[in-house]
Amino acid sequence: MFAMIGRRSQIQTVARRSTAAAVVALGLTLIAIPWSHAASRTADPADHWAYEAPKRAALPNVNERDWPRNPIDYYVLSRLEAQGLKPSPRADKAKLIRRVYLDLIGLPPTPDEVDAFVNDPSKDAYEKVVDRLLASPRYGEKWAQHWLDLARYADSNGYQADQLRDSWAYRDWVINALNADMPFDRFTVEQLAGDLLPNATIDQKIATGFHRTVTCNVEAGVDPEGNRVNQIFDRVNTTATVWLGTTLECAQCHDHKYDPFTMRDYYGLFAYFNNTPIEVKSTDNRMVSYDFYGPKMPLPLSPQRKAQRDAVQKQIDQLTARASKLRGELLKDMPKWVAAARAGNDARPEWHVMPVKAFTSKGGASHEVLKDQSVLLGGKNPDKDVYRVTVETDVANITGFRLETLTHPTLPANGPGRHTAPRPNFVVYEMTVEQVGPDKQTTPIKLHAAQADFSQDRWHVKGLIDGKAETGWAINPQFGKPHEATVLTHKPLNGAGQKVTFVFTFDQHYGGGRNIGRLRLSAMTGQRGKDDLPANIAKLLRDRNGKLNANQQKQLETHYLGLNGELNQLNADIAKLTKQRDAFKADSTLVMIEMDKPRTTKVMMRGDWKNPGDAVNAAPPAVLHDAPQDLPGNRLGLARWLVSPDNPLVGRVTVNRWWSRFFGDGLLRSEEDFGTQSEPPSHPKLLDWLAVEFVERGWSPKHIHKLIVMSATYQQSSRVDADLLERDPENRLLARGPRIRLSAETVRDNALAISGLLEHRVGGPPIYPPQPERIWRHVGRNAPKYVIENDADRFRRGVYVVWRRSAPYPSFVNFDAPDRAACTVQRPRTNTPLQALTLMNDPAYVEMAMALAGRMMADRPDAGVEDRVRYGFRLATGREPNAFEVAHLKVRYAFELKRYRAKPQAAAELVGGVTGWKPDSKMDKVELAAWFFVANVLLNLDETITKG
Amino acid sequence: MRDDAMQLGQTLTRRALLARGGTSGVGALALGSLLAGDARGETRDPKKSAGPLKRPRLGGTDVNPLAERRPHFAPRAKNVIFIHMVGAPSHLDLYDHKPELIKYDGKPCPDEHIKGKRFAFIRGHPKLLGTKYKFKKYADGGVELSELLPHLATVADEMCVLKGLHSDQINHGPAQLFFHTGFGVFGRPTLGSWLSYGLGTSNRNLPSFVVLITGSIAGAGNSLWGSGFLPTIHQGIEFRSSGDPVLFLSNPKGIDGDARRRIVDSINTLNRAQLADVGDPEIATRISQYEMAYRMQTSVPELMDIKAEPKHVLDAYGANPAAKGESFANNCLLARRLVERGVRYVQLFDQGWDHHGGVFDALPRKTKQVDQPIAALIRDLKTRGLLDDTLVVWGAEFGRTPLLQSDRSKPGRDHHKEAFSIWMAGGGVRGGYTFGQTDPLGYSVAENSMHVNDFHATLLHLMGMDHERLTFKFQGRPFRLTDVGGNVAFEVMG
Repeated sequence: MFAMIGRRSQIQTVARRSTAAAVVALGLTLIAIPWSHAASRTADPADHWAYEAPKRAALPNVNERDWPRNPIDYYVLSRLEAQGLKPSPRADKAKLIRRVYLDLIGLPPTPDEVDAFVNDPSKDAYEKVVDRLLASPRYGEKWAQHWLDLARYADSNGYQADQLRDSWAYRDWVINALNADMPFDRFTVEQLAGDLLPNATIDQKIATGFHRTVTCNVEAGVDPEGNRVNQIFDRVNTTATVWLGTTLECAQCHDHKYDPFTMRDYYGLFAYFNNTPIEVKSTDNRMVSYDFYGPKMPLPLSPQRKAQRDAVQKQIDQLTARASKLRGELLKDMPKWVAAARAGNDARPEWHVMPVKAFTSKGGASHEVLKDQSVLLGGKNPDKDVYRVTVETDVANITGFRLETLTHPTLPANGPGRHTAPRPNFVVYEMTVEQVGPDKQTTPIKLHAAQADFSQDRWHVKGLIDGKAETGWAINPQFGKPHEATVLTHKPLNGAGQKVTFVFTFDQHYGGGRNIGRLRLSAMTGQRGKDDLPANIAKLLRDRNGKLNANQQKQLETHYLGLNGELNQLNADIAKLTKQRDAFKADSTLVMIEMDKPRTTKVMMRGDWKNPGDAVNAAPPAVLHDAPQDLPGNRLGLARWLVSPDNPLVGRVTVNRWWSRFFGDGLLRSEEDFGTQSEPPSHPKLLDWLAVEFVERGWSPKHIHKLIVMSATYQQSSRVDADLLERDPENRLLARGPRIRLSAETVRDNALAISGLLEHRVGGPPIYPPQPERIWRHVGRNAPKYVIENDADRFRRGVYVVWRRSAPYPSFVNFDAPDRAACTVQRPRTNTPLQALTLMNDPAYVEMAMALAGRMMADRPDAGVEDRVRYGFRLATGREPNAFEVAHLKVRYAFELKRYRAKPQAAAELVGGVTGWKPDSKMDKVELAAWFFVANVLLNLDETITKG
Repeated sequence: MRDDAMQLGQTLTRRALLARGGTSGVGALALGSLLAGDARGETRDPKKSAGPLKRPRLGGTDVNPLAERRPHFAPRAKNVIFIHMVGAPSHLDLYDHKPELIKYDGKPCPDEHIKGKRFAFIRGHPKLLGTKYKFKKYADGGVELSELLPHLATVADEMCVLKGLHSDQINHGPAQLFFHTGFGVFGRPTLGSWLSYGLGTSNRNLPSFVVLITGSIAGAGNSLWGSGFLPTIHQGIEFRSSGDPVLFLSNPKGIDGDARRRIVDSINTLNRAQLADVGDPEIATRISQYEMAYRMQTSVPELMDIKAEPKHVLDAYGANPAAKGESFANNCLLARRLVERGVRYVQLFDQGWDHHGGVFDALPRKTKQVDQPIAALIRDLKTRGLLDDTLVVWGAEFGRTPLLQSDRSKPGRDHHKEAFSIWMAGGGVRGGYTFGQTDPLGYSVAENSMHVNDFHATLLHLMGMDHERLTFKFQGRPFRLTDVGGNVAFEVMG
């Protein structure tokens, strides 16, 4: 509809200005007119005020000269005075400090911090707090929340299956950049084109993750080119929204209906982004299945991870030294073993059943010794049992033992275990053998090389004799048939062939009656046989006279050493640690890179990439400021153009978004749209003043944030009376301070801080705090699993919570967090029953409430009820409760305490049901349960989840 | 005392109708409709619920964003039950009978159909695949159904089959988004949220938009019941078959209903004190939301408990109150219970219809699961007099190709956006009627085509909404469900 529009004349600018001034003078009534204000409807869209460079207007005159604390206040006050309104008084100090804490770092002050401020009489007490907060590392975590909404940062691809991908280094980059107060122009250039900077650093490349956060469809059958084009559309639209406050999307298909942007403008911007590689790749030769692809960059190991890796390496070195020493010792004994093995190699093993002399069942089962000298268990089947079997034998040169577990018709489903008919299993954790000397003294017999005809998965027979109480031998699912386990002694026993007595002990503590139903013990003579020696070793040993070559010698040695349990264990440990060490390979992150050969960009007719029109060159939209001659025609040039001081939009758009974060609404309400259809700003000169101040003072975000929070406007009380509410329900005139519900992540961070659970660890891969089951249940390949954290990661800040686009963290969704599938400028702020249910019942909030209850008791160990109530209330709201509030909560506590005293098991049930936080064992559970009620109430107060 | 303070809350609320601005909070909606022009219907004055609908005025009526609103014109339907077969079943084996396709089964597809086309999975030159199933006409010849749908055949008199649907999107995720939001990208409101925004809901104890799911979540995820740029109060709420029916509905172990009542009383007592002190009407809203949360703790389990339904009803659906986990039959019965209670929009998703291979094995298995419950739902609604006000929609994100995918031993069909069939019943549609025809191979629409935008426009019209007037301003322009398209198909109305 619109042709290319040139830059407007100075005269038109003046005309536009006076119109805007008139609009302001008309006041509130005009503001209420929806998105069609007269000034922009008839005029040339190119003359719209937002496309004119902002200027610092002279500060307006005000009557109440003592009120303003900085220039912001002059603009606000002058408007108030024009409306016959007065500003509200300054907020109470306790409320003010909580407000500025929540705004700057997203966390509440502790009662001590509140006291310190309230009791600090110095003139700059508030400024000292502000400076401290601006310097806090928590500041970046709070403000990253907002930027990451714009950057549509998430940890997953979006679409079918919605697999996870690593881009968290970009999120950490944002946090660090904000903490460092990186000037916004540099912040922009590095994110849009860090890779194109000369000698780009790793951090500058990480920053380009900004535009790799875009969704990516890797569904089978996707068209890679269609996906790529959609991604670039998103990059263009997001760039225009974030830096220009302009909705360019319409110009994908046709010239913009209201704003002076053409399709050529759109594809001129498109061209800047059109030279990055494709981001899905076929995984089969039919070009049907696809995977996420595109440039990734390995990250250097963090100092923390490097230290972890070095620690593992040190362990490896120690174990290797031990293994090598042991090896040397063993090799000294090898000739002896070879001689014995040679002898044994010929000796076929023989099994000699050992008659039973005595049998005891610790659990009290009855038994019967059958004719074949097997012991059949009967009677009661104890939950756990230990058998002691005393046997006697005169077999000489015993080299091992055999345990047979046999079936019998009297056992459940014939056994051999006693558990249940469908699963007649047994679990023997440990078998030990002692030889009883003539003087009744017992000597433990060392055993090794356990073998069985069958071992259950994860219950391998080697656990039978490894001395560990948590491993053992079981036989599921091979029920209903006999099994056997054999073990070897280190040296032959009973060389003289006298009568000897052995006591076998079988520890069966799995529970559920998983005990052996029938067993028989035999002694072994000879060698366990050919199957004990691998064929190649047996062959080497049979050839007695032949000289072994080096390779054969090595084989023999390997086999021999492999017989030693300790060495095997060492080697296994070394292998495990090596794997651990190698897992410390560098993490990676998604970055932008430019292809060597750029693509040709063509206008897409009706936005359809299959329908190309004229070729276009990369160029910024014609209606906006000119690009300096020396800018490169790539993303770097675009980024520099966006943060050129001539850009009329970027400063206004940016400070306006920040203003909205502090006050709940922007000076211009449609933060995402500064176009001709936007309603005019409430304080246009203030908006311009801030924009100019921002750019001229070096693009410092913290400078603007400090200006805002230092203003008298910001420091007003948020109390409102009915008259003012009726006159200015939405606080557009700013005659009172802001009162806004906290954002989703801050609701959680705040509650974690109040309950004392908050963990401050910064950065790294996303975390998985508690969420209900079956939130993540998606179709498709490699669907990720949600495994809830069981350590301190559970309690880290919301900015680190894994963000899966198709199923974001549910309590965040209930508090209006976006799915981050697209750039979000303004989150809605709703007030719903689901929010009430979340704060009352979400297990994550239940454990926070229980922890707060515990904190009220632990931090005030000798205090009375009232003192604890006051403490909890101050933790939650920052202020002292009034007499009514104290009285009410005391009654609540007393009532619940009385109830629980009568029913202590109900208290135990409540306390025991909480998983993520456990009380000190000394803590009185009845009192704790009663305090839980108070804590649950406190965490649910409107005041607690509101910045007021 | 509780009542006094509630009164105080309400007084303040009324006085401050315009509670919050922009897209923020409750008052925004009232503000939106007051000032932004006729973007949607008007609210009903709760005191005169029988009387005509009135426009809210400053200082009057109600800030409930889900309050019932007046449609643009007399509606034919008041509620919607939308049954989405996720993955997209084959229209050619269920509704669109193509003797020619059977005749040329196994022959190469004519070039004109495949030239320049890209399929999701099929590569090379594909062969045609005819159906194996017999078709029969019902409703005096008005509706033709395959033998896989014997139960639906018994309610064919109510069905209006649309055979001329077509979509812009060929992959599941984008096509599902397109089918529910009118856009193939994320971030747009779904049909259900548009209707919640436009019409509100009559039940104050339940959400306006409820989602019931069998099987895993569809590719586009929660965005299929999201509210996009509309206030999140209009998003669909999933009622789950296992665990809490609504997330966080049940109290923690050790807190019973009485204990919860005491906690809510304490919260609201202190909130009322805060309201009296600072005067922010948002606090009054929060107080009422805690009350609603408490009521939902009773109303939702009551709704989800189908045990009390008579045996003949349970049997008709094939529903099982004791079912552990998800049951499509139970969900159909729940859909009736929801619209019975005034829930505006009920969305069912059933996973498992993406039959790239073995379509003749998988499809009968799936139709067997859904045929009876859906037919029972229609009959049950009819018996209760709810069918006139309830629009039942059956459909999927696209159809399947008349072309063979994979080999003949395990024949399947690929994604197909050029033509597919859906059907509607009740809610003022013309029953026993078929609208739209495809070409002899079932490849393209030959007559009375209906783009997804047209379908949305028609559906909104049945609900009494003009698709060009139901708008929301976002990014500087008024957005609609139908974007820049949409023609109402008046032929489908009874």
